[in-house]
Amino acid sequence: MRKIQSMISTSSADFRRYETHNRRLLAEFRERQEAARHARPQRDLERLSKQGKMRPRERIEKLLDPGTPFLELSSLAANMAYDGDSPSASSIVGIGVVSGREVVIRADDPTVKGGAWYPLTAKKIVRALDIAMENRLPVIHLCDSAGGFLQLQSEVFPDKYMAGRIFRNQSILSKLGVKQLSLVFGHCTAGGAYIPGLSDYSVIVRGTGAVFLGGPPLVKAATGEEVTVEELGGADMHTSVSGTADYPAANEEEAIHIGREIVAQWDRPRKWDCQQEAPEDPAYDPEELYGIIPDDIKKQFDMREVIARIVDGSRFHEYQPAYGTTLICGFANIWGYKVGILANNGVLFNDSSLKGGHFIELCNQNNTPLVFLQNITGYMIGREYERRGITKDGAKMIMAQSCSRVPKFTVMCNGSFGAGNYGMCGRAFDGRFLFTWPNHQIGVMGGDQAANTLAEVKVNQMKRNGGTVDRDEVDRLWEETRKAYHEQLSAYYSTSELWDDGIIDPVDTRNALGIAISASLNAPLSEPGYGVFRF
Amino acid sequence: MAIRLSLDDKVHHVTILRRHPHLVLVIDGEEHEITRLPGPGDGRGTMSIGGHDVGFARATLGDRQVVRLGGRTFDVSRVDPFSKGGAAGGAQDALRAPMPGAVVTVHRQPGDRVVRGEPLVTIESMKLQTALPAPRDGVVAGILRAEGETFEKDEVIATLEPETEDA
Amino acid sequence: MTAPHFRKILVANRGEIACRVMRTLAEMGIASVAINHRVEARARHVRMANEAVEITGDTPVAAHLDIDQIVAAARATGADAIHPGYGFLSENARFAEAVAAAGIAFIGPDAATISLMGDKISARNFAEENGVAVAPSVMPTDDLDQFIARAEKIGFPLLIKAAAGGGGKGMSIVRSAADLAEAARIAASEAQRYFGDGRVYAETYVERPRHIEVQVLGDGEGGAIHLFERECSVQRRFQKIIEEAPSANLPEKLREDICASAVRLAAAANYKNAGTVEYILGADGRFFFLEMNTRLQVEHPVTEMITGLDLVRAQIEIAAGKGLPLAQADVTARGHAIECRICAEDPDRDFMPETGQVQYLGVPEEGWLRFESALDQGQKVTADFDPMLAKLVVHGKDRHEAVDRSIAALDGLALLGVKTNIDYLARVLDHGAFRAGELHTGFVSEHKEALASAAIPAATLPQVLAAAALGFREFQDLALGTPEPYAAIGGWRN
Repeated sequence: MRKIQSMISTSSADFRRYETHNRRLLAEFRERQEAARHARPQRDLERLSKQGKMRPRERIEKLLDPGTPFLELSSLAANMAYDGDSPSASSIVGIGVVSGREVVIRADDPTVKGGAWYPLTAKKIVRALDIAMENRLPVIHLCDSAGGFLQLQSEVFPDKYMAGRIFRNQSILSKLGVKQLSLVFGHCTAGGAYIPGLSDYSVIVRGTGAVFLGGPPLVKAATGEEVTVEELGGADMHTSVSGTADYPAANEEEAIHIGREIVAQWDRPRKWDCQQEAPEDPAYDPEELYGIIPDDIKKQFDMREVIARIVDGSRFHEYQPAYGTTLICGFANIWGYKVGILANNGVLFNDSSLKGGHFIELCNQNNTPLVFLQNITGYMIGREYERRGITKDGAKMIMAQSCSRVPKFTVMCNGSFGAGNYGMCGRAFDGRFLFTWPNHQIGVMGGDQAANTLAEVKVNQMKRNGGTVDRDEVDRLWEETRKAYHEQLSAYYSTSELWDDGIIDPVDTRNALGIAISASLNAPLSEPGYGVFRF
Repeated sequence: MAIRLSLDDKVHHVTILRRHPHLVLVIDGEEHEITRLPGPGDGRGTMSIGGHDVGFARATLGDRQVVRLGGRTFDVSRVDPFSKGGAAGGAQDALRAPMPGAVVTVHRQPGDRVVRGEPLVTIESMKLQTALPAPRDGVVAGILRAEGETFEKDEVIATLEPETEDA
Repeated sequence: MTAPHFRKILVANRGEIACRVMRTLAEMGIASVAINHRVEARARHVRMANEAVEITGDTPVAAHLDIDQIVAAARATGADAIHPGYGFLSENARFAEAVAAAGIAFIGPDAATISLMGDKISARNFAEENGVAVAPSVMPTDDLDQFIARAEKIGFPLLIKAAAGGGGKGMSIVRSAADLAEAARIAASEAQRYFGDGRVYAETYVERPRHIEVQVLGDGEGGAIHLFERECSVQRRFQKIIEEAPSANLPEKLREDICASAVRLAAAANYKNAGTVEYILGADGRFFFLEMNTRLQVEHPVTEMITGLDLVRAQIEIAAGKGLPLAQADVTARGHAIECRICAEDPDRDFMPETGQVQYLGVPEEGWLRFESALDQGQKVTADFDPMLAKLVVHGKDRHEAVDRSIAALDGLALLGVKTNIDYLARVLDHGAFRAGELHTGFVSEHKEALASAAIPAATLPQVLAAAALGFREFQDLALGTPEPYAAIGGWRN
């Protein structure tokens, strides 16, 4: 492998302008993240401390092994929903190390509406458990939730991927032999009661922890029975009478201590042996990424410059360097793990699609995980390309990618438009993790293109109907379309809807991928095989 | 997450700050870089800590480590912050009857300070007398069955005052 | 090598001394027989011996004091001699007699000599008669009041001790007439309790006395030589903890006088085998006969180290009738040797005995040091036997080097799991007064404060805590068991 020779001049005017732009985007991201993590009404925080409870992030910090990372996922989930009433979708999800085992940690956030589950909370939890299933990662639930947010029950309760999916996933996890531990710090009411109920191990804090299908008010309303929380579902009742929970704890600290001891009993994972080298920092400073990503989504940049700031030693073995040059393919190491990288350097043509499909097959044969670095406006369109079979060549790439047995990871480095999103392992393609940079935009096409397309359609329609074209109406349509697109194209909208696993600082890409790859190796590789390629 | 160690009746805190490129421990709030790690197990070892090579001998005796270093022997023991509780963690406030029966003897009265394992009441059940021990250290809050009174399985026979936080 | 007369010797002892004797037996090609109580079935002396006989008793110590069983064991195994070591039956005349009666050689003086020297009064009288200086004293009597009256006459301070005892039991110093009666009564009752003989004995107490003893060898026919003296002044609870040879700051003339005195006594007694004549030496240079030990001393290795002789071999050869191994003129001393007694005890708590388990034993290895012990890693240290675990004996070209080497050896000695006096011994050796040779039997109490363990140095504390923390499996796992890339990424948050 050869070290990539960067062509970037860090003193150039473009570099500085881009850097200013991207650092501003990053600051905005950090600001939103900080608010989602910590901005809470004083009243809620006081209630929590009066109950002797820690804040959910304190619990996580105490649970994690000291001096180890925590890759938080979807920190800005629901940031554009519910008028911002559900920061981080009222839950914290991430991957970290507890007692030397890598685990998914999923915590309710009692500082938001008593930890009630919004629709996107359920989506986030389901996604967390999907991650656990796909990667065979044990899960630690930190339970403290009032239950479903009743005002939005139709969006929380009935459908396939709503709250019920959480418990379905828990059951399947257990069937797969993936361990789950619940630390019950607060209430687990109604469906929430099944989280400890379906966990292999559970610890419950005396005095504050409680598990029941119906709380005292519901019991009173239903049967007239008057009962206290402790009697109905407290720590001593569940650990000594019902057997619903396993270990009583005197306080939250002890619950965490017991939880850590439980995890220490678990067998260590036997990962499949992805080819590995000793890790090495990139030769180029990752902070230079800020000066590489342009200040306009339409401006092209060389993705090799990005690769050079993510991979070990900035070394890259480029495959078919002279063929299909709009798709860069090649091997590199990230935190020591050998990966195959596919990175967009322009629109996908027939040759680049074929090269991509072929490279994906090579990686599958070589047990090499795939990393997709997206900056794609789509597959090339037009008569010439359709005649050359751009659709069937694109289909080959999608087929190869979809049927891959190796883990896939996607980073949205800039734009993700059209079918290019599919070929490059968009959200629908079961990549193990998908991370987004703050400058990212996603849509079936760009805002301007969509406005132009719709305006074009409108003009044609007007011409068909009466022959006169109302220019003002067309302009208004163009403007509305562009605006609506602009909002929904943004990374914040994308991450709010959990179309990704979180926005990350571009500089953090290497660490995020390192942890993601490590996590992915817990799940055994499936049998190889593809569908029918259209030649 | 720190380990608490007691040496000469003083408690010290040791936790991990970093592992790469070298292990960095925070000991009583101060960082110490260990550039060479000692081997595991009992016996002689060498470590480089804070830029100094330090030879020592060490032996493990349960929750104690005996360390010989610099011509002195130190007896360091681990402090379990939750040792007050039972082995399963979190001691209970209530003493429940393990089976139906009758109280034969009440050993302690409300307000009495008791230590874990000390009998609170003796019950008779199925012609078998059993002493019910205090589930943790604490103060008896109530004895809910007098001598001669009967009870059902899982009934609370005695309670302890709830634990108060002590830092 | 002289052809051994004995083919098999039973070692009527245990612990380090049994091992030490067996080492010489092995060198001499003589088979060894060990005796052991059930609790020490896997002890090192048992493993070292060619064969072993289990002895029984209510306590392990009682078994080792059972003359009949031990003689029977020697007979049953066909041993033609018994080496008694020190302690236990080594100075028991009845034992020597029983052994002889069984037709087995006793490696030591005969029963009559043991009796003579074993009784403080007869020994003292014998010494006095043969021109060996003794301290003004009062003979024991059954009449305690008469004893008190006589004692008062020789003046104070006075040392009172049991007539039949040794090892500091029932010993006390009386500084005024007012305290005499009470002290005598206590001494008498302790003597009764420990030795079954309530008679007590008093003599002039020498202030800041030094304990000097002379190693002698006698051929049993009036021939005797000395192997120089040893200084055993550093004591706690009336028991030696550091011994050295030669003594520090001893004028050559005085050394010659003391050694000559000891040879005179041994010759007069027709002493046979190895013995030690103990003296008390005052600051004024006057020395008085204390007692004679009719056996090998615990501290004999310091004499071996400076003279190059093997005292156990000498004992065996003398017992075999081969006479003295060398003439006085051929005895030379080279350099300086120091012995430290490693005991399971807590110097910070008045040297109270400690028990525990030797979880790790690491002994420094040097040509100039001998580590005499029967300890094994994993061995439990119980209150069944004496708290002395081992002896660390070091040789140097002079006293200065011997002290430095001893401190280095103690520093390098790791005996972990049971509290010991190792650190304390190093502090004694490093004390200015010790280095200056300003020794006397009250050294330990005189320098009590300076010898107490100091606060932990600020730089050492984190080192100790780090080593301890990393010793716990759980913490080790936490520090070293983190999977990659998590360990390398460290405390990163996104």
